[in-house]
Parts: sequence; C-alpha cells; structure tokens
Amino acid sequence: MTVLVVVEPDDELSLQAVALARSLGGDLHGVSVGAADVPVDTLHVAEIDGSYAPAAWAAAVVQLVAELSPSAVVAPGSDRGNEVLAHVAARLDLPMAVNVTEVRGDEVTRMRWGGTLLEEARIHSGLKLLTAAPFAFAPAAGPAAATERFAPALTDADTAVRVVETVSTSTGGISLADAKVVVSGGRGVGSSEGFAILEELAALLEGAVGCSRVVTSAGWRPHTDQVGQTGTKVSPDLYIACGISGATQHIAGCKGAKKLLAINDDPEATIFTHADYAVIGNLHEIVPAISAELRKVRGS
Amino acid sequence: MRLVRAAKPVDKERFEDVPGRVKNEAVIVLGQKKLFQRLLPGVMHALIFWGFLVLFPTIVMAMVGAIDRDWAIPWLGSQGWFMAAVDVFVLMVLTGVVAAIWIRKIVRPARFEGSHLGEADFILALIALVVLTLLGWHASRIAAGLNEWPAHASFLSNWVSGAIPSPRVMERVFDWAHVCVILAFLAYLPHSKHLHIATAAINVYFSRTRRRGRLEPLRFDLPDEEIRFGAGTIGDLTWKQMVDSFSCTECGRCQDVCPAYATGKLLSPKLLIMGIRDQVFAEGANLLAGGELNPIAGNGVPEEMIWDCVTCGACVHECPVSIEHVDHIVDLRRDLVMMKSSFPQESEAMLRDVERVGNPWGKPQGDRASWAEKLGVRVLEEGDEPPEVLYWVGCAAAYDERARKAAESTAKLLQMAGVDFAILGEREACTGDPARRMGNEYVFQSYAEQNVATLNEARVTKIVASCPHCLNSLGSEYPDFGGRYEVMHHTQLLAELVRDGRLEPKLGDGEITYHDSCYLARHNDVRDEPRELVASVGKPIEMSRNRERTFCCGAGGAHMWMEERGTPINEERVREAVETGAETLAVACPFCTVMLDDGVRSLGKQLRVVDVSTLLVESMAPESDVSLEPSFAND
Repeated sequence: MTVLVVVEPDDELSLQAVALARSLGGDLHGVSVGAADVPVDTLHVAEIDGSYAPAAWAAAVVQLVAELSPSAVVAPGSDRGNEVLAHVAARLDLPMAVNVTEVRGDEVTRMRWGGTLLEEARIHSGLKLLTAAPFAFAPAAGPAAATERFAPALTDADTAVRVVETVSTSTGGISLADAKVVVSGGRGVGSSEGFAILEELAALLEGAVGCSRVVTSAGWRPHTDQVGQTGTKVSPDLYIACGISGATQHIAGCKGAKKLLAINDDPEATIFTHADYAVIGNLHEIVPAISAELRKVRGS
Repeated sequence: MRLVRAAKPVDKERFEDVPGRVKNEAVIVLGQKKLFQRLLPGVMHALIFWGFLVLFPTIVMAMVGAIDRDWAIPWLGSQGWFMAAVDVFVLMVLTGVVAAIWIRKIVRPARFEGSHLGEADFILALIALVVLTLLGWHASRIAAGLNEWPAHASFLSNWVSGAIPSPRVMERVFDWAHVCVILAFLAYLPHSKHLHIATAAINVYFSRTRRRGRLEPLRFDLPDEEIRFGAGTIGDLTWKQMVDSFSCTECGRCQDVCPAYATGKLLSPKLLIMGIRDQVFAEGANLLAGGELNPIAGNGVPEEMIWDCVTCGACVHECPVSIEHVDHIVDLRRDLVMMKSSFPQESEAMLRDVERVGNPWGKPQGDRASWAEKLGVRVLEEGDEPPEVLYWVGCAAAYDERARKAAESTAKLLQMAGVDFAILGEREACTGDPARRMGNEYVFQSYAEQNVATLNEARVTKIVASCPHCLNSLGSEYPDFGGRYEVMHHTQLLAELVRDGRLEPKLGDGEITYHDSCYLARHNDVRDEPRELVASVGKPIEMSRNRERTFCCGAGGAHMWMEERGTPINEERVREAVETGAETLAVACPFCTVMLDDGVRSLGKQLRVVDVSTLLVESMAPESDVSLEPSFAND
C-alpha cells in the first residue's frame, strides 16, 4: 500500500499532514514543488517554474497518482493544501474530505463549522483524498527523504491562474486579528487623544488596540480598528475592554477571547455579564495604573 | 408600450383584489389623496387635475369645431350649467398654475433638487395656454353670437367677450390656437416627466393593496433561463418597475421624507427612479433588439445609493403615483449580492451568521431561550399540544440585553393575564428578514421554509411577535411559503388584554413620546394599539413625524449590520424626541430600542428609551420579581 502526501517547504501544517499520512501505514511518498526537508520515504520534487499555480501543482499530483496508484492522498489543512487537493479531486472526479482529525478505514472524523462540530463520514472511493485539520496532529519528525525529481506535463491552462504579487496588509505593528492581547476602547475613552493610555498598555503587552463602533462613528479611530459584528472579529488570549458598554454588536466581535477583562465605571454595564474579570472604576485612572505596575514588575 | 411588453412578468398578486385596486383608483387618482398629504401643492394639483377632467369635452368640441365651426357636442354643448362649470374650472386651473408657479419660483422647496425644472416651467406654460385659448375661444363665440348656450351662464367668458375685436376672425384664431397647443402638449408628453398623466393611473392600479411590507419572492423553482436574480440590467425589470419609472413626476416628495437623504447620504429615491428611467430610455432600443445591456448598478444608479436605503417605505407611502422604490432597491441588491457578490464588506459576518447559525450575531442556538428560564415560560417541544398563542421572540429579544427586556416584560404580562402561550426555544430561527433586505433571497427562502415547517408541524394558528420585522415576515411574507397564521404584534395583544380588563395598568403622570417603527406603523398598519397602551400608563406627546409618516431609527433594511456615513439617522430621530420635552421615549421594536438608546447616549441626552411592554409591566407591578436590569446569567 502506498500513501502520497503533498508538502511545502518550511511549513508546520505540512509536517502535521505527514503525521496523518504516516498513521495510514504503507510506503510514504511525498510530493512538493521545490526541495523540502520532510520525513517521508521518497520525496518527488516537481519541477515547475515560477510562482504558486494551483492547477499546475494539482497536475503534478495527479501525474504521481497515476504512477504510484496510492490508496490515499493527504494534503495540509492550509489554504494552499485545500486548494490543490480540491483541484486534484475535480480532475479525478473523486470525493474529498477536508479538516480530517482521524481516519478509521473508510471512515473519517472531520471538523466542521470552525471546530464547533465533529462529523463522522464515510468516503466512498478507492482513493481517499484528505486534508489534515490544522493542529490536530503532532508534526512528524525524522530524517529527510531521498529526493527524485520529475517534470510534470503541463498545459498553458494549468498556469493560467498563478500568484503574480504578494501584498502585505499589515501596516506595521501587530494586527488586530492575530494579536494575543487586545486593548479595546469604547465611548468611555472620550476622545481620540484618550486612546494614548490604551496604546501604551497595548505596547507593554505586545498587543493591539481595538475599539467599539461608537468610537469609529465618532471618528476617534479608523474603521480598521473596530472590533465587532461589522468590524474585525478577534480571538486573543486576553481582551481588555475599557469603557465599552457591551452592545451585542460588539460582543459578537470579541466573544472568541479566552479571557475578558472589563473596565467600566457603570456597574450595570452589560459588558460585565460577559467578563471574566471586572474592574468597576474610571479607565483613565485604572489603565495607567496597570501600565505603571507592569513597568514596576518588569523593573523598567 | 413595447418596452413594457418586453419587461419581466410581475407577481400574480398584482392582478388580484380588484375591489381594493378600484378603490385605490378612486381615492388616490380621482381623490388625489396622497397629493393632499401636502396642502398647497395638493390643492394646486387637484385644481389642475379636476379642471382637466371637466374640460375634456370642450377639447373634443374645439377639435371638431376647428373644422366645422357650427358643430357642438349634442345636448351637453347647449347646457348653460356645463358652460358655467367650464368657466369655474378654467379659473381653477389658472389658480392652480399660479399656485404652481408660486411654489416653484417663490417657495422653491428643496425636494426639487435634481429635478428637471425648465421642463416643468414649459409644461405649466402650455397648461396656462390651453385654458387661456379655451377662454378666448368661448368669449369670441359669445361675441360673434355663435354660442349654442345661454351667454350669461358663462360668467367669465361673457365678461371677457366685450373685449374681443373682430370676433368672427378671433373665434377661428382661438380655436385653432387651442387645438395646436393641445397637439403640441400631446407631442411633447412622451418625452417628458408629464408622461405620468398617461401612466400614473395604471401604476396606481397595479400597486400593492395588501401586505405592503411584502417583497415579491424570486422563483427559484422555474427553469434556469427564466429565473430572475433581481435587477442587473434594464432587461431584468418587471413591467411594474418600468411603469414606475415612466410615472415619476420628479416632485421629490420621496426625497423630502427619506431618512437617508435627510442625513446626508447619497440616496435620493427620486434620483434613483430617474436614473433607472434614463437608463431604460437610453438602452430601450437595445433591449428590444436583444443587444448588450449595461448593469444598472454603477451606471444609472450608483452602488452606494443602493446600500443607503433602510427600506422604511416612507418614499412609497408618500409617492402620489404609487411608485414602489423599495422593490427597485431590493432587486438591485439581489443582483449585487447573489450574482456579483458585491456588498458592504462589514455585512458579510451577519449574512454568514444568519446562514450558519440562524441569528445575525452568531450566538449559539442553545442560548435562545435562556432569557425565559427564570420566568418559567413554557417551551413548546415536538409533539406538544399547541398553545393558544405562540410567542415568536425573535433574535434581538432573545440575545440582545437591551432588547431582551421587552421579551421579559411581554412574557410576564401574558402570565399575569393568564394567557396560554409558549415559545419555540431552540426551534425558532431567524425569519431571514435581514438577509432578504440585504438581497440574499436564497438564505431568506431557506429560513422561510424551515420556520414554516416548524410552525405547521407544531399546529400553530396564532402568533404574537415582539419584533416588527419578524411580524412582517411571518404575517406578510410567509404566506408565500405556505405559512398562514394570525400574526399580531405584542402591543396589539396587550392592548386587547387591557381592553378586556385582563391587565390593569396604572396611569402615571410621566410624559411619554412614542416612536413608530416603520415595519409596524407603515408596513403593517399597527399605530393605534401602542398609543392606547402609552395613554394607559402616562401622558402621550407626539413627535412631529408620527404614525404612518414616522421617521426611521436607522436600523431597517439590514442597516443594523452596516456602517453609516454622514449624520447618524438615530441621532436625528432622538433630537426630534428630545424636542417634545418627554422624559420617556417609548418604542415597540427591539432594533428601534437599541438604535435610539445608542442615539441618546451619543448625544448625551437624558431620555429613557423603553419598550411599551416594559412601561406596562412597571406600572402594574413596580415590586415585580422580574429583574429588568441586565441579568448575570452566564456567571
């Protein structure tokens, strides 16, 4: 029995996909575009010039499938992994299971709805196409494989869609969506200048500053900073809500936070019903006090 | 005509309810009801309109008379009373024209911004010429002794006749001048906004008579090539929408009442309809020839305009020729959302959450009934006996802390009155209203089908809803999907209970101003019951824009989940409420509650925004065990 795993160089999700592929047993072949340091038995390196082109990568995988007749093709649960395998599935006219966490013969368990639902499914095809759910498997480790190069036969159509430019959206600093700590301000902050103390605290915690809809409506902060139903949805380890009343629209954007600390001088503010930690008081005193304490503890 | 025939079909409902349609013709066209919503312009138009109805036989007389001088309409032509009436109506039309010039040149209301003003002046001049030449003709007939009717009956013509030189020549001159002016008028008509005299009556006839808050469902069950996904090009317009655009007189009454326009957004309902009309005329030949058509969005109508609308329906209510602007806007949105995936990015989360978890905030379905637990409200499980009344809570009241108080109050009051009611709990889902108003008809229809299946399976016959948007979907839109229930708003049921003596509110002395929700007061005609309740607990004061001419809170048409440009609509409304001097702003819609409460906070005003049901429960049970403060349920 043979299993083929699609990998990318220097990619943690690819190593997790290798772990899933290894668990299926049999000879483990890898396929990558460009050399990669991954622990498979044989690595087939497709010689495809230029930038990422999903159809071309899929053509390479399909060509190897024809040569090796594997029982399964596994890809990482990354955007690229899912995309390439979807092309493969379309070319072979086979079903595909994404975000797989476990395989038992023909049956798989896969994550749906952003992890809120685990679905058990049966795959009705000789060749199983699977992508590994991110962070469901420990990354595979081991010696790098012997490499075999091959040049897949490509048509012009295969390279019609490809990456021509990569533009970074972040304007420097830590992006709101990825920040581990978000210090967010609402009406209680009072003005755009009032955000200085929040900026200071966020910098100390290596976090980002967010705000509520009221703040962007008032023009104190840009809409890109807005956390909420109609702004960015964040899921930091710690969300510090300063002077935010806790309207449903806002809570919808920060409910993914692991811990919520609310600072508000209105003890009846709705935000406290969602908070893990509550400080009832004036944020203009409390936020600087937290910053001062942090500095003191860190001895700077 | 060929364009209208080439247009897409309309819903069959537009051919039903003939008595209602005839009544609309009588009231809106002959009675000029909507025009009279503004007094001076209404009187002005009615004078001209009624004048021409009566003057019509004289036009026939003049046309035949131009060829055969001695011909007159049998009988009518010799009646003194008719000729007296002709003079009266000539005077009326002239007064109307003077009033119109007064309005256009002296008053210059802002609603004419963007209208073709020169065109209107030209038409007014033609109207004046029509009646002046008629007057001259009749006067010269009297002076020449050609009158078949008693001269003294024509008090005006008779008086003028003395001043006519060489009457036999002038009689010919005036008659021909009269006929020429009328022919010129008719020739100009199709190229001008005055086309409305030909299309308005038709447009009024086919406008909605019932279920005015209902949108026409798209038919996904048709063969692929016949499915309409909203209005992308003029080729997608229904014939009613075409006639709508031909009927617009550019009077701007819609623009004047539009909350988006009033707060500095790009949208003017008038410019939207004019934009569609201009594109129809520009590309009409292409449409008939089967050629390429340009998208409406981004050409005749800027995309931004399409998203500014709160679907409050103020424009539709105001329009004297029954143009239905909201249908145009939603059809344009449907095309943008379903075919082009082009819509305000911030609304994407709402659409996804409605589709995925059945409420617009992405809250867990399992928490839907958590507000009701401590009140011991019965949750209707599968197979249970149906209650007398099903309480449809709605997402806002189920999940939003501020809106939730209305649900708690309503439940408490129904318990106090001993009403047999239950909620659906986790089996209730979003009605799909915000998705539908955004243009995502797929999502709406799948929820309509799901909810109708749940309600029918539960054998529900009577529903009380807290949310006017749910009320509108359940009562006006679900019948299209096989759901037929008696649907009432909680204020209606509560007013009934108060009338029956099952609830006894205590009259207080606080001044309360009531804000009408668009979907309640305008789209569903619920205006009296909330006022009855307000009057039973305090002193009512009206805001200047009230009842069916209310001003939106800013949340309708899925704007609850969009960012706003310009002056916030909610603050505009709050300023109006503050002007009344009332200390309480009563509401009957969860979205109005949130929007207006936000507006009060933004403006830093002292005004309590509270649902009518909460006022009622507070008056009856101040020591009530129901905590109306935010609950700390998730601790």
